Amino acid sequence: MAKTLLCACEDVTPADVRRAYDLGYRDLESVKRYTGAGTGPCQGKTCLALVVRELLRLGATPAEVTPFTVRPPLHPTPLGALASLDPEALSLESGVPPAGAAPRASRPSAPLPERAAVVILGGGIMGLGLAYNLCRRGVRDVVLLERGYLNAGASGRNGGGVRAQWTTPTMIRLARRSLEIGERFAAEMGINTWFRRGGYLFLAPTPQLVERIEKNAQLHASQGMRTRILAPAEAREVVPELDASRFLAAAWNPDDAVVFPWPFIWGYAGQAEALGARVLTFTQVTGFETEGRRIRAVRTDRGRIACGTVVNACGAWSPEIAALAGVKLPNHPERHEILVTEPLKPWLGPMVSVLGSGLYFSQSLRGEIVGGMGDPDEPPGIDMRSSLRFLARFSRAISACAPVTAGLKVMRQWAGCYDVTPDNNPILGAAGFENFLQLSGFVGHGFMMAPAVTELMAGWMAGDAPDEIFERFTLERFERGDTAGEDFIIG
Amino acid sequence: MPRLADPQFAPDCTIVVDGDRVPARAGESVVSALLAAGRPLLGRSSKYHRPRGAFCLAGSCASCLMRVDGVPNVRACRAPCRDGLAVETQNALGSAAHDLLGAIDLLAPDGIDHHHLATWSQLANKIAVGASRQLAGLGQLPDRTPAPWPPAREERFDALVVGAGPAGLGAAESLARAGRRVLLAERERAAGGRLRCRLELPGDPPLRWAREVEAALGRAGGEVATAAAVLGVWPAHGEWQAAVVQGDERLRLARAPRLVLACGTWPLPPVFEGNDLPGIHGARGLAVALAEDGVVPGQRAAVLGDGTEAEGVARRLAGAGMAVERIAGGVARSRGRLRLTGLELESGRSVECDTLAVATARAPASELAREAGAALALDPETGAWWVRPGEAGAIAPGAFAAGELSGPCSAAEAAEAGRRAGEAAARG
Repeated sequence: MAKTLLCACEDVTPADVRRAYDLGYRDLESVKRYTGAGTGPCQGKTCLALVVRELLRLGATPAEVTPFTVRPPLHPTPLGALASLDPEALSLESGVPPAGAAPRASRPSAPLPERAAVVILGGGIMGLGLAYNLCRRGVRDVVLLERGYLNAGASGRNGGGVRAQWTTPTMIRLARRSLEIGERFAAEMGINTWFRRGGYLFLAPTPQLVERIEKNAQLHASQGMRTRILAPAEAREVVPELDASRFLAAAWNPDDAVVFPWPFIWGYAGQAEALGARVLTFTQVTGFETEGRRIRAVRTDRGRIACGTVVNACGAWSPEIAALAGVKLPNHPERHEILVTEPLKPWLGPMVSVLGSGLYFSQSLRGEIVGGMGDPDEPPGIDMRSSLRFLARFSRAISACAPVTAGLKVMRQWAGCYDVTPDNNPILGAAGFENFLQLSGFVGHGFMMAPAVTELMAGWMAGDAPDEIFERFTLERFERGDTAGEDFIIG
Repeated sequence: MPRLADPQFAPDCTIVVDGDRVPARAGESVVSALLAAGRPLLGRSSKYHRPRGAFCLAGSCASCLMRVDGVPNVRACRAPCRDGLAVETQNALGSAAHDLLGAIDLLAPDGIDHHHLATWSQLANKIAVGASRQLAGLGQLPDRTPAPWPPAREERFDALVVGAGPAGLGAAESLARAGRRVLLAERERAAGGRLRCRLELPGDPPLRWAREVEAALGRAGGEVATAAAVLGVWPAHGEWQAAVVQGDERLRLARAPRLVLACGTWPLPPVFEGNDLPGIHGARGLAVALAEDGVVPGQRAAVLGDGTEAEGVARRLAGAGMAVERIAGGVARSRGRLRLTGLELESGRSVECDTLAVATARAPASELAREAGAALALDPETGAWWVRPGEAGAIAPGAFAAGELSGPCSAAEAAEAGRRAGEAAARG
């Protein structure tokens, strides 16, 4: 009985908290993610004060131990109960926590360097993946600025799906490379990502959507993928809990995967730092100093950094950041909500998604069902509040798709922002200034594309011949009208 | 002596726990029935498979999750008994008492850093991930698809009051006196909050006050909803909108221009080695189980804490026939394998006990207040972030907080703060 438990839901000990603290994860949001304290069925009611006490003992400041964001519902609630709410009677405008709740100031002690060859803006998987890959290619004078804690943005808020089932050879190639990297990530980067090839099962409820998945399956076959079209009865062999009357056919690729997103961020950050990059959290970009066609320096709330190249990898915040340099990007943020249920023993193999509705759900390595669903009425704009309307819509959709889920209890809901472009493809390369590179516009699939894309981008920045993506996905394509839209977006 | 001898506490039904028949009283919680039966071990923990028992007895911690009537991960301290109810322990290979996976805890006395587990080779990692998936999760998928819930009803009130302890009762009473229609939502099966402990500390309002407030609320067109958990408060159209799950029967969507939060506190576990052993309980929850279900949890109790509440609980447990020892602090570790058998104090002294009632610092149930945007203040001693309300408990436009949410106070003080917040809410 030698252990002292601070969080009895997740069996978190003072040693776990110390390990997080020593790694630099000192603010409570980061400690929650790294240790798991507060992520179990009691949602921090019992452990919050004990973890705060332990962090204060280790030397944390009161700002660092500001309580993590409250996530509804406050008590585990069956999806079936939430499905009794009429979503149409509920407003998207009403969310919690109140607007204005931003990442808390938790000042880093490391001083800002005076200059850097590459300054990367945004500590999501794009920015951190790029920092790591640049270091590997020998570009080690890299500084990355993140305004909050690591995992504060969409990289820490997504469902962790990585799939090769796309509609163009380019996207398929990138996604398969990401799957390869993902499979080796834990062993190569030294941190578990809980990568699991459980497959992706896309359910097509209309004849038009069946036609789409059939066409996709032909493309997938030509690319050497194992995608198969299943009749409803066959799909039920993969997931017996499905209501077979709700769809006409399904696309099944057993090689698609689900991961746990946070360790990708920690892994890339940790290895980039080990190779010489500097990752500075809680540092906000306030503007740029420009000269002719170049950006000379990045201004922040902690001082300025003279720079060779600046990379905008701020995801949903990219247009806002580009605007500080007078560059107008056509992307816009859009809230997408997500939730997680109580932890159960393994029962669901693949990621399941219902085409047309945006519903997706999978079972995490912790046993929870993680699922989300976009809302067609969602207005554009940064908004990370959690709405009751989402709980109502999601619970109706998932319990119609797999009726037994009506009995599963929701533990926590949250939201993140997609970074949406007009053609659902990214924006890569210089924009406005010759040394201001964009790495944004990934429309909800940035997480799964990042391992492959940041590897290519680092190669290109280090002098490799550009991959075709850097010629196709330029900002100028929107002016030229040379856009071919990607429409296999879920969530 | 598992229960007080009073005939009102005589078992009147039987629940079936892992196949064993356990006497129970219909309507009492599964935890009450199991404590009275001398079975504090309820399951195994998620990662190390450590023995788990009910700590808070108040629906805040999640140490009492069991499979009840085919539904996994149910808080056994909330689940009412009825004749024939099937209850199962969870997350054990073998049984909760003889869990082979308990070896994980023994083999990793310093814990397991799961982030770096088996990252030395891709093959090892793949095997570890596969094994982790099998080990993860607590309960099994439910046996069956539940019947659909009736459509949620949308209701309008003049004010929502969350929590029917002294502060919430005071607020609701003021609002009802001013003619306001109030929904007073209480998570527990009965109103009264800490008054249900029946410690009868100096200045405490009597418990019957809860019934008087209920009557006053009814006269003004309002109601007290018990077993009613507020899932969140969402601002909507300049009002507060709360989703409230009442029992297992219905979900209510209540709207009101005024919100009074009187959610009280959550008990905090003590911090020492083996602080999660079955037999360690929040003092208030234990006092309520004793007073309302006649549960005598064992023979020898230690009471941790030095306030009047600790004194009151010690008195009640002694009155129930337990040998009671009071401890002010300085516990080094617990003793016992599947349940508490004693404590080792930092002074080197040992205390024999099968029950530890924890009456030390508590932390505010501040979740709804934080959702509503309340300011907080840190108490570095306890790690608690107390709600810091303004004038008459105001925390946000149209929202008020009262009682223990903003710091320790007596029941009488909480009632008075509730009255003031209720008056302010009635005016506003």
